[in-house]
Amino acid sequence: MRRLFVDLLGLPPDPEQVRAFEKEPSRAAYEELVDDLLTSPHHGERWARHWLDVVRYGESDGFERNRLRGNAWHYRDWVIRALNRDMPYDEFVRKQISGDLTHPGAGGTAAVGFLVAGVHNTVVGSSQEMKLLARQDELEEIAGAIGQTFLGLTVNCARCHDHKYDPIPTKDYYRLISAIDGVRHGNREVLVEDRAKEIAELDARISDLGDSLATLDRAAVDSIRAKRESEPEPTQQALPEALAVWAFDRDYRDAKGSIESSPSGRPRLENGALVLDGKSFVKSVPLKQDLGEKTLVATVVLDNLGQRGGGVITVAGKDGFDSIVFGERDPKRWMAGSEGFRRTKPFGGAEETVADKEPVQIAITYAKDGTITGYRNGQPHGKPYKTGLRQFKAGDAHVIFGLRHEPAGGNQFLTGKVLESRLFDRALLPDEVAALAGVESDFVSEADLLASLKPEEKERRANLQEEIRTSRDRRQKIASGQKRKIYTVSPGAPGVMRVHVRGSVKDYGEEVTPGGIQAVPGVNAEFSLAKNAPDRERRIKLAEWIGSPNNPLLARVMVNRVWHYHFGRGLVKTPSDLGWNGGQPSHPELLDWLSVKFRDSGFRLKALHRMIVLSATYRQSSRKDAAAFAKDAHNRWLWRHSPRRVEAEVLRDSILSVAGVLDRRAGGPGFKDFTVKESGTAFYFPIDREDAAFNRRTVYRFNPRGERSAVLDTFDCPDPAAAAPTRGVTTTPLQALSLMNNPFVLRMAGHFAKRLQAEAGNELEAQIRRAWELAFFRLPDAEEERASRKLAEAHGFESLCRALWNSNEWVYVE
Amino acid sequence: MPTNPPSSLIDRRRFLDWGAQGVGATAALSLLQGSLPGQTLPQFAPHARRVVQISLPGGLSHLDSFDPKPELEKLHGKKFSSEEKPDIFFGKVGLFRKADWGFKPRGRSGIEVSDLFPHLASIADELTVIRSLVTNSANHTPACFFVNTGFEFNGYPSLGSWVSYGLGNESDDLPTYVVLPDRSGRPSGGAANWSSAFLPALHQGVEFRHGDKPVRDLHPPADVSRSADAGVREFLREVNTKHHARVGGDDLLTDRMRSYELAARMQLAVPEVSKLENEPESVTDAYGLHEKSTEEFARRCILARRLLEQGVRFVQIYAGSLIHWDAHGDLVKNHGNNARAIDKPVAALVRDLKQRGMLDDTLVLFTTEFGRTPFSQADAGKVGSGRDHNRYGFSSWMAGAGLKPGFTYGRTDEIGWKVAKNPVTWHDFHATVLHLLGLDHERLTFYHNGIQRRLTNVHGRALHELIA
Repeated sequence: MRRLFVDLLGLPPDPEQVRAFEKEPSRAAYEELVDDLLTSPHHGERWARHWLDVVRYGESDGFERNRLRGNAWHYRDWVIRALNRDMPYDEFVRKQISGDLTHPGAGGTAAVGFLVAGVHNTVVGSSQEMKLLARQDELEEIAGAIGQTFLGLTVNCARCHDHKYDPIPTKDYYRLISAIDGVRHGNREVLVEDRAKEIAELDARISDLGDSLATLDRAAVDSIRAKRESEPEPTQQALPEALAVWAFDRDYRDAKGSIESSPSGRPRLENGALVLDGKSFVKSVPLKQDLGEKTLVATVVLDNLGQRGGGVITVAGKDGFDSIVFGERDPKRWMAGSEGFRRTKPFGGAEETVADKEPVQIAITYAKDGTITGYRNGQPHGKPYKTGLRQFKAGDAHVIFGLRHEPAGGNQFLTGKVLESRLFDRALLPDEVAALAGVESDFVSEADLLASLKPEEKERRANLQEEIRTSRDRRQKIASGQKRKIYTVSPGAPGVMRVHVRGSVKDYGEEVTPGGIQAVPGVNAEFSLAKNAPDRERRIKLAEWIGSPNNPLLARVMVNRVWHYHFGRGLVKTPSDLGWNGGQPSHPELLDWLSVKFRDSGFRLKALHRMIVLSATYRQSSRKDAAAFAKDAHNRWLWRHSPRRVEAEVLRDSILSVAGVLDRRAGGPGFKDFTVKESGTAFYFPIDREDAAFNRRTVYRFNPRGERSAVLDTFDCPDPAAAAPTRGVTTTPLQALSLMNNPFVLRMAGHFAKRLQAEAGNELEAQIRRAWELAFFRLPDAEEERASRKLAEAHGFESLCRALWNSNEWVYVE
Repeated sequence: MPTNPPSSLIDRRRFLDWGAQGVGATAALSLLQGSLPGQTLPQFAPHARRVVQISLPGGLSHLDSFDPKPELEKLHGKKFSSEEKPDIFFGKVGLFRKADWGFKPRGRSGIEVSDLFPHLASIADELTVIRSLVTNSANHTPACFFVNTGFEFNGYPSLGSWVSYGLGNESDDLPTYVVLPDRSGRPSGGAANWSSAFLPALHQGVEFRHGDKPVRDLHPPADVSRSADAGVREFLREVNTKHHARVGGDDLLTDRMRSYELAARMQLAVPEVSKLENEPESVTDAYGLHEKSTEEFARRCILARRLLEQGVRFVQIYAGSLIHWDAHGDLVKNHGNNARAIDKPVAALVRDLKQRGMLDDTLVLFTTEFGRTPFSQADAGKVGSGRDHNRYGFSSWMAGAGLKPGFTYGRTDEIGWKVAKNPVTWHDFHATVLHLLGLDHERLTFYHNGIQRRLTNVHGRALHELIA
């Protein structure tokens, strides 16, 4: 009984539960009890603690500074909830790799906390070499955790050499590194999910209102333009023929009608201009022809001149891009953008002073010989320079407005209006650019528009605008009030990964595409992605590869872990290493059978637990059989259920529970039973005092690296500085000292004694019986009762309670 | 998102294939590897049986202590130039600064030691000085972790823990590995510096703190009486024995009963070993226990000797908390005061061990995480009063068991910036220490999380040149 409670919940049963079961100890009653325990919210807490050991979850950075991570607990709560809901294990795995991408929102974002649950070096050296090395160390840490947690493979060694034991070549290692190169440590603000629906409704309303406003405006703009066209235009020089022209009148299509585009975020079309809010962009379908020599032209009004790095119009291919960029290298200056400034630099033209007030036209020509020339309002801007020409292949390149390059993020967005834009498949000559600058835009200003409206239209327009504004405000309020900061993956732009020869950051080998480990059978390690694919594509593919039901290691590794925690030892005794360096399974067919069973049940962990705890093997007694012991002293062949010392957390939680003070609230930030002093490095000092806030389960203890409380420490609670797929089980005099003398234990003994009095009255005998029942779920025999009476009479019930918690029967589960 | 395909779609054999491959390979491998499970014997004849390590957190200036550089006298006030940007901490490269203490050849060996450590200078003939250490980080915490664990990160077992794991304990009633932190607190990186990490918890460094409660939870709080303690123990003996008989005599259970007896003995042994009152005055005088400037460190040095005498395997004494020796400015004051506090006690410890015949099988280590720069830390064109961190070359010494006494090894370049001959990494240093203890650093391993871990990772060489 106690074994079952400890294994499934990590808490002792109530004597009443035991009594009820013992009254009718049938198989049906046992099964019913198992089902009850598996649906208890404490089940997730117990098994989350195991999982957190495996995934090296800690709540400080480690390394030199070891600063606290106040928002890491979301991951812990996510694990607890997922286990309580019996999320299928394959889904559980995939979400921890790409949940933020596939399930945006608080849950999915918290799930990928797995990737950054480990240590993080926040003091890297000043030199470029040290920085590169620190980044590779960080990626190795993450790749190592992925390999060991989900696949039971140690991939780390392959960073420097082809793996000695497992068939993991160095190239595979760097393909895996490439797959996670977008992963960075950080905090992210995420919307709380339960308000998402409300926000979606508001969005729909805002969109409807926007449409009504647009219809009204479009009619006005059309009439103004019709009027303009009827007026004679000044004679003009013939304009050069463009490949595409975008007027942004009604849609994002180019005016010649051949290139479709679609919006990302919330770009708007307003009065013949593309309005970009700094979070949006518009991207075309792939261009149908090769593009080498070219000219980019755009007429633009900026929201502000302080922005740094937004792209107006970009042609982007697989390996690079050309773009009109504002303020990226030098503030307030126009430049041609290119991948990592490899081909481009600022023109050295004058600082922009008016583009936030009136439209300016920027043109950049890219000549065949690699010369790049800038123009502003038809006049040469700064100095041309000669570098290289980027060739874009047909079907490869897109035109993007409002974003310097993909993947979207950082300072790449433009805030402002693009009134008109043109793309040419040759480098225009200076007089051609000058002629273009003379073209009048069909942009209709707000003042012109208002002047053309009737009074009732004006009023309707004002009302629409007002309602849009209030709806936006409301949306903003809900969104910001319900945001949550989560310590998790803060995605960055991944680069093109290369093999680092012998792990060096100076000696590079071939470039690699994102991929998995070829040696894993049943799943395709080829992700079919470009070398420079965005983080999103890389991680989703990685998750699908690892979390595929066809990956045999997925089930095998997890089945072995579950077995390990139920029996104190896995069928393979190295749960994070089932590769060639790990142990041999003691019962290979059993491991196979359970793995298939687990997979076929839809990767349901609760079904697996149920199967195990209902088995005859699990239900064996702990009693020693001399003959069996002589043959197999270590019980490798499971002739009994070896007695097991409970883990540090079970010990602490059980003490709280039996003392009657356990606070069973679930979730939220952890309790801090220490103070922090920061002096470059954060130092943690345990707090030793009675405080109801500390009476929660240990899984909710704020868990910094390098500091555990005395009782946890001596009972082998691992430092989360590293993963702990198995825990040490030691027996030391220091352990005896802490359980005998630690003030926490003594304070709890006081509570236990008070509880006895409250529940059993003042009668000595009744209190003793209650004490045994609460601690051991049985009554004392005559000798035990005599010993208890002697101790309680001489030294009070606190002493008896302290003694019970120091006994072997308490510390070992039979 | 992929959904579970019906199982028939996946070839069962293929699904299970991995297991078959894994098994065969593992069986073959385990024959080859022959790793050592939790062993307690030296692997070959040891020179040393125990170790005392004096750790100077913050970075002792080798240029002002154990590594004489006459060239700096000439270069003082001149500009340092190098094509390579030095990896230092603050990045301010001032003019060269000469040593603030004079060097002289000492004893018969003629080893040059500066007047910063006059007492250590007087035992120069006992020392094996390494003048060519290098390390990987110029930041305190990672560099401290490196000295202690062979890795720059926390989460790896310290040298003392590995020695405890390799050799076990000689004392029943004291811990194997004892750490004596400074009265003012722990070094940079805190308790992670003496963590057993993935080694079993009994190999962890046990802190002996100042005051009347040196070991955490050694005794119950004052309001619990002695007789109540005795009552609890008696009760435990009785119920544990009954329980043991019922479950069927498991070793785990008897071990645990025994741990309570050991705990009781430790309760007596710890106060006993901490009692310095019975030390003769001639001894306490020699350590400087009665002088204000040396009293604190003298106390810990005497305690260290007493612990070693009682069979403690590894004692580590911290000369200061945090980054005590970190003389970015006013090095004269920083090093002057700090050295005064430890010079006499450390020299007395070495002499005392020798007089008792213990230096023959006790290894004394005197270490710091990195050295300091030959150029001062100041704006360009100025001679600053302090020096920045230098990871490219610095000094340490060992003494005792099996080493060549009065011997120096390796050297730095003319200005004492980088190692010019026989570079020694901490992995080499650790391999040497283990070798002296009769342990092969390549064979002292512990399986953790997929890797057979070693103190020396995949590096290191025992420096036989240092061994007599």
